[in-house]
Amino acid sequence: MNQNITRVSELIICLVLFEVGSTTLFLLGGEAKQDAWLAVLIGALLGLFLLLLHLAIHRQNPSLDLFLLFRRYMGKYLGTCINLMFVGYFTYETSRNLRDLGELTVMTLLNQTPMWIIILITILVISNNVRYGPEIFFLICVVLFPFMLFTYMVIGILIPASGLIHYDFMFPILENGLKPVLKTAIPDIVSFPFGQTVLFLVFYPLATKGRNLSRAVIISYIVVALFLTLFNQLNILVLGPKIAANSTLPLLETVQLIQLAEVFERMDALFIMILFLGLGIKMTAFFNGAVIGLERITGVRSKKWILPLGAIILGLSFLSPNYTYHMEIGRVVAVKYWWPIFQFVLPLLLFVIMLIRKPKKK
Amino acid sequence: MHWMKTILKPAKRRPLKNTNPITQTPEPINSSLPHTLTLLHKILGDSPDFIMRNFSDSPSEPGPIAICYIEGLIEQNLLSDLMEALIAEQASKTSFTSDVHSTINALKQKIPTGNIKIIHAENQMIAAILAGNVVILVDGVQVALAASIQGGIRRAVEEPTTQTVIRGPKEGFTEELSTNITLLRRKLRTPDLKFASRNIGRYTQTRVVLAYIEGLAQPEVIEEAKKRLESIDTDSILESGYIEEFIQDAPLSPFPTLLNTERPDTVAGSLLDGQIAIFIDGTPFVLLAPVTFIKFFHSSEDYYQRYDISSFLRIIRLFSFLIALLLPSLYIAITTFHQEMLPTTLLITLASQREGTPFPALLEALIMELIFEVIREAGVRMPRVIGPAISIVGALVIGQAAVQAGLVSAAMVIVVSFTAISNFVIPSFNMASTVRLIRFFLMLMAGMLGLFGILAGLIPILFHLVALQSFGVRYLTPFAPFTKSNMKDFFIRVPWWAMKTRPNGISGPNKTRQAPHQYPVNSAKKERCDEPNKQK
Repeated sequence: MNQNITRVSELIICLVLFEVGSTTLFLLGGEAKQDAWLAVLIGALLGLFLLLLHLAIHRQNPSLDLFLLFRRYMGKYLGTCINLMFVGYFTYETSRNLRDLGELTVMTLLNQTPMWIIILITILVISNNVRYGPEIFFLICVVLFPFMLFTYMVIGILIPASGLIHYDFMFPILENGLKPVLKTAIPDIVSFPFGQTVLFLVFYPLATKGRNLSRAVIISYIVVALFLTLFNQLNILVLGPKIAANSTLPLLETVQLIQLAEVFERMDALFIMILFLGLGIKMTAFFNGAVIGLERITGVRSKKWILPLGAIILGLSFLSPNYTYHMEIGRVVAVKYWWPIFQFVLPLLLFVIMLIRKPKKK
Repeated sequence: MHWMKTILKPAKRRPLKNTNPITQTPEPINSSLPHTLTLLHKILGDSPDFIMRNFSDSPSEPGPIAICYIEGLIEQNLLSDLMEALIAEQASKTSFTSDVHSTINALKQKIPTGNIKIIHAENQMIAAILAGNVVILVDGVQVALAASIQGGIRRAVEEPTTQTVIRGPKEGFTEELSTNITLLRRKLRTPDLKFASRNIGRYTQTRVVLAYIEGLAQPEVIEEAKKRLESIDTDSILESGYIEEFIQDAPLSPFPTLLNTERPDTVAGSLLDGQIAIFIDGTPFVLLAPVTFIKFFHSSEDYYQRYDISSFLRIIRLFSFLIALLLPSLYIAITTFHQEMLPTTLLITLASQREGTPFPALLEALIMELIFEVIREAGVRMPRVIGPAISIVGALVIGQAAVQAGLVSAAMVIVVSFTAISNFVIPSFNMASTVRLIRFFLMLMAGMLGLFGILAGLIPILFHLVALQSFGVRYLTPFAPFTKSNMKDFFIRVPWWAMKTRPNGISGPNKTRQAPHQYPVNSAKKERCDEPNKQK
């Protein structure tokens, strides 16, 4: 009768959609040119190690979430400090996705609508989503999953079927050696999108019903990583490394090229809807993480934090004066210097302390 | 949502004024017959249908036995039998005062009625009279007898007017509770079919009966339903809608969390799925709970037709649900904001049509939808005789003439009428009404923000649907949370021999529906297959 328990499968589907999320909006590893797929794979591999680190932290103490863990092992003051930083990280990630969605809408669907209206409505919708809590959010992912899967499958079938793929764009492999590939993979691709799984340390303790969490998470992560590599490389195979690297929305441009039997034209509107859903899922997940963090820090119920935090997110999304600046911060500065702290340094610190403070078995 | 709740909730709870004598504290019946008769006369007054009959030998002194009843509520033939027996009894005995218990028991034996009860309190006596019993009073005895010979005018069992089917039973519930329960009993001949009865409504004293099959329904759901029914304290229950609004899970949700049906076979099927049914006296509509979203798109006929065509029809219904919900808003969004999505030839056709129309697409759609809603409401309310006139006005003036006059585009008429027809495909009327309301909301969103607006409108609805529960069962089960075993009766209906279990999450302890290996066995074919083996 009790249907309010989150199952592992629901969490996994949420993780999958979260990883896909807004990733297909951008081209990963554009600097590696035709070897982007190698860069993404290397990034994914390193991301897998990060994921294993996160899972190891979770397995040490499966009942506590990220914030409670820091609080417990780092002490009251340092723990709260780090928790506040994490809340800031999640909030800022939400605001970045919000801005992405605003820019995407203005660029594609609504050219004449002021962006603040779109961003305002989006944050209202997202705040409403967060009001229901993470358990309902996982169920929403279960509902949306078939639609997302179906759309990506249609795109994945139609692009080769329209004869758009030029396999010669793949070659020569490793034209400039391994160095540029590694340079783009570390830390850029590791921290976006793969390292973002650190958020799920907040959600893992919720999934209590079902089988082995770690194994399911790892398997789904690998599948998603391969999927993202494939779709990322599709851009390069269709557009060529130069156009793909310079295009603002590469996969959208790729999808626009689909023309089949005068029926399957203009698939991009459909694809934009999927991008919206992906961005929305990402925003809702980060926002949920942030309000749960504030609840853990202050003890005030998370629902009360939605409105103030929503206002902050709304404000933060206007930080960048234009999209180029926004992209520069997001894809150059943040991925290299900010995100690794949250995705790698702090969890590693936590893990080491957990190992040291672990009561020794006699 | 919160401010709405504060408005809808009264600030102070004032106790209900209790004026109905039935619900007041019980007082024992006075042993003096004239005293009791005076009391009855005082309470039930000079109503022309209230009859008090005293069997007396001489006109001056009152006899020892009296009967009271309300004329229209009882069966006249049975009444005359009863009176015959009473008169005979009175003639045979000289005095009734010797021993109270033997007198009443002797009298009880002689009365030719099956259902006869002994009543001790005055308010019970009045309730019995109002419920269609004949109350027999004996002088000097502190109790009364209530013989149930209910009768009077009632509607015959007819074909239900809503939820009609092509193949399947043609009988529907009536306003009479006992008839409805009989119709159900005829379908479910098991002692496990249980009823729990209760009178609700201070003035109406409406009988509300909870029906379930023990072992199939979840005990928690039964308890919860009983609790919710018991907490209702109002002056009247006239239709199942009253009960529905008092006991539903999300009182402010546009989505119904209880299903209503006029069909005994639907109720029987739902009880076999582990649901519970709530019968209300005075209405042919029975409530079913717990119910999931998809149940509103199932017709009882799905289980009688072949499984493949039923599955196809279910998908058609869901498709028309999406059309009814989204088509006008998609049309508005695409013609206003995203013309590039249309193929060029279609775009040119649409543009040439819209060239002469004076209003923007949103306004045009809103006007047309509102006009259609008006015609539809007129169709329900108007006298049947005027029907053809309205349909001519509706079809010709609003459809063709409006297009020819250049007020609306022909495409819009097509969109609105197809939406309207799609709306009628949804088998459940209250789900169809929900769709009607949400459609307007989505049209406004589409008119303001195009496809983005539609998505921004749909996402909160989706979250609401996922969070919604009906008696502890999630509304979108088995989709979210995903329940594999329930998929056999979801979009598709598997053949009956494959319908091995009852729906998970709804049904109780007994989940197995049938014995294993129910796949039809063709003995003739089997022999033919065996033959070559035998020859070897």
